[in-house]
Amino acid sequence: MDFNKFTEFLPPEAVLLSEESKRVYECDALSAHRVMPACVVLPDTVEQVQAILSYCYSSDIPVVARGAGTGLSGGAMPHAEGVLLSLAKFNKILEIDPIQRSARVQPGVRNLAISEAVKSFCLYYAPDPSSQIACTIGGNVAENSGGVHCLKYGLTVHNILQLKIVTIEGELITIGSHAYDSAGYDLLALLTGSEGMLGVIVEVTVKLIPKAPFSRVLLAAFDDIEKAGNAVAGVIAKGIIPAGFEMMDKAGVRAVEDFVHAGYPIDAEAILLCELDGTEEEVQTGLLEVESLLKQYGAIEVRVARDEAESELFWAGRKAAFPAAGRIAPDYYCMDGTIPRKHIAEVLAGINALSKKYKLDVINVFHAGDGNLHPLILYDVAVPGELKRTEAFGSEILQLCIAMGGTITGEHGVGIEKINEMCIQFDDDELEQFHAVKTAFDTKGLLNPGKAVPTLNRCAEFGAMHVHRGKDKFPELERF
Amino acid sequence: MKEKVDSIKGHVLNAVEQSKPLKIVGGNSKEFLGRATTGTLVDISDYSGIISYEPTELFITARAGTLLSDINNTLSKQGQMLAFDPPNISDKTTIGGVVATGLSGSRRPYSGSVRDYILGIRCINGLGKELTFGGQVMKNVAGYDLSRLMTGAFGTLGIILEVSIKVVPIPEIEITCSRSMTKEKALAKMLELSGQAIPLTASCYDGEMFYIRLSGNENSVRATSKEVDLDIEEQGFNLWNELRDYKAPIFNSDINTWRVSVPTTANPDIGDDPYLVDWGGGLYWLNSERPAKEIFDLAREAGGSAMLFRGSVQDQNMFQPLSNGLLSLHKGLKKAFDPHGILNPGKMYASF
Repeated sequence: MDFNKFTEFLPPEAVLLSEESKRVYECDALSAHRVMPACVVLPDTVEQVQAILSYCYSSDIPVVARGAGTGLSGGAMPHAEGVLLSLAKFNKILEIDPIQRSARVQPGVRNLAISEAVKSFCLYYAPDPSSQIACTIGGNVAENSGGVHCLKYGLTVHNILQLKIVTIEGELITIGSHAYDSAGYDLLALLTGSEGMLGVIVEVTVKLIPKAPFSRVLLAAFDDIEKAGNAVAGVIAKGIIPAGFEMMDKAGVRAVEDFVHAGYPIDAEAILLCELDGTEEEVQTGLLEVESLLKQYGAIEVRVARDEAESELFWAGRKAAFPAAGRIAPDYYCMDGTIPRKHIAEVLAGINALSKKYKLDVINVFHAGDGNLHPLILYDVAVPGELKRTEAFGSEILQLCIAMGGTITGEHGVGIEKINEMCIQFDDDELEQFHAVKTAFDTKGLLNPGKAVPTLNRCAEFGAMHVHRGKDKFPELERF
Repeated sequence: MKEKVDSIKGHVLNAVEQSKPLKIVGGNSKEFLGRATTGTLVDISDYSGIISYEPTELFITARAGTLLSDINNTLSKQGQMLAFDPPNISDKTTIGGVVATGLSGSRRPYSGSVRDYILGIRCINGLGKELTFGGQVMKNVAGYDLSRLMTGAFGTLGIILEVSIKVVPIPEIEITCSRSMTKEKALAKMLELSGQAIPLTASCYDGEMFYIRLSGNENSVRATSKEVDLDIEEQGFNLWNELRDYKAPIFNSDINTWRVSVPTTANPDIGDDPYLVDWGGGLYWLNSERPAKEIFDLAREAGGSAMLFRGSVQDQNMFQPLSNGLLSLHKGLKKAFDPHGILNPGKMYASF
């Protein structure tokens, strides 16, 4: 394949071919899976992206788009014979319209940079994935990222207005508009979360939200994880939608407390963090109501943050959960499944049973309000066989989520990581429908090949070991 | 109910075999929307019933033929509701029709649209395959988001059998405030209020009066109603329901009624045509005798799109024309779901 062709429309420094220059691109945040791309290109204009894609299309070269590479499911893992298309140079905020409450930005702009840029207008961009300091908006759209506050403010799909994409054939197409509704099919929803399989995003218009004048966090401790799970459902049932509603198990609390000293009660079996926002009077009445509800559901201690500083301290612990896991184990594997809230306690018990089975410790921190679990499996890649055991453990957690009526991914995407579990969540007809949609955008299958949707052959091989939708084959379910 | 699904599949397979299109209807309360089509009737109105509703999980799953009124009643008994003001046009309106047409009411800018609340769909595609996408949980990014894609697709991508929708708590209290003012002042006021963190759930202007609706926590709503510099309306104010169900005067015209969706800051030049602005400046309802092309041009220049809501136009081109790039993607998608072109063909655009 002639990758030097790219220097005809890109400056030489924007085409990386040497092993050492390509090294940093060989994986995203799912670092257990690495592939050296044949070539890395770093365009900085839309025209260059169009030229790259047209050339790849005419020469049948696979293309993998990449933002900051913070994705946790291997969605940006390169293709050995393909081009890794980095959008890192597309890092400009093009237009801020504080009256319309929107911002038009390039895909390589960091998530947090948007909120920082509009702060002076008392506006912000709502979705806040934990990687928001580093992750880019283009990647957020590709994965439909969520975050702590999406219970109330929605996912990426709820917070964008317009996309500009370049198709594999090199055509620039505008999807959506700055109006609320657009003509035709809802391609904006289809593109969001499509994991770079349908087109390359070169511009995003996001919605901005007025910042609530007041917010406060409350911390509740429970001596029983089931009570904590029920308390979450109880608060929601009362018609209260917190801005954030997080849960952490005992292992999580201890790991975090040793690390950041957020003042968490280390003897609790589980803690809940509940943030309310709105006008001050609304938040104050809400806090009283939530406090009394949580006590009703068996909280042994409820602490309302005295001020903003204490609110931040409560959050600091939650936000430090991943680095805290990194401190107590050489490696950790972050899972991501969603389940109906009512099954939280049951699923946690199931995860703990699996932890014993696989002899691997696990920390549970998650977005309890939307039932989105993030078990962190602790392991040591240096111990032979431990990564394999970790992945098998993770796969069983995902299958448990499906069996409980949930899904294998709430916000991290399928990528390469969960491609086998897709065979359990979807049957052959559904997978064929996904492939047909892919073909409508990318007839040759050149965009991010091998990701997000498994081939039926792959599922047939995987199916030899598993049964669709967990209908029969969950012997360990009995024990949960 | 399995027999009903089998019979729908049978219709699809027959249609494929005989190359004859199907015309999919629920309560048919929105028959006036979209282009007129012909075909073998597939009536899903008797495929009805709420399958699952758990207030603590904030979702409801119902068969497509379930009456919207039944869903509203069931939810309100638990203090919950659908968040997007779905039009309840007649006592025959079904939830499947609500999702297939994707129309949201006055709440849309502040709490979201139909598609924002769709969690999952079960459907039959143009090959007679029964498919389930999405689910009942709040966050789900496994596979392409085909349930949202089908929302507002007017049955051209699949026959919707079942939908799961996120629900929200009914606000403690609602207050409507109003004042007579000029259009310029009203549009400016809409943008000003929409940019504040207040419990605003609707704002419209009918050419004379400016209205806002505040909903939510009682303390917060009462406090805000005193700060917005408007007059508080009497209890029993009905404009929001009339707007939602297309019963307001703007919908009762002998000439064409257009629905023009534009950026809130666009303020399109609508001339002297009677109008009503909803969605904080983002939606114009127009009564106009102007040719369709003029309305489409006006919408496009304003950065938006138009749709003929009631009335007639030449060649039934009721929806904003698509760019060539978009049109080819639409045709490709139609082919991906319905390769034989039997599901409501031509309902949105003549060519697919």
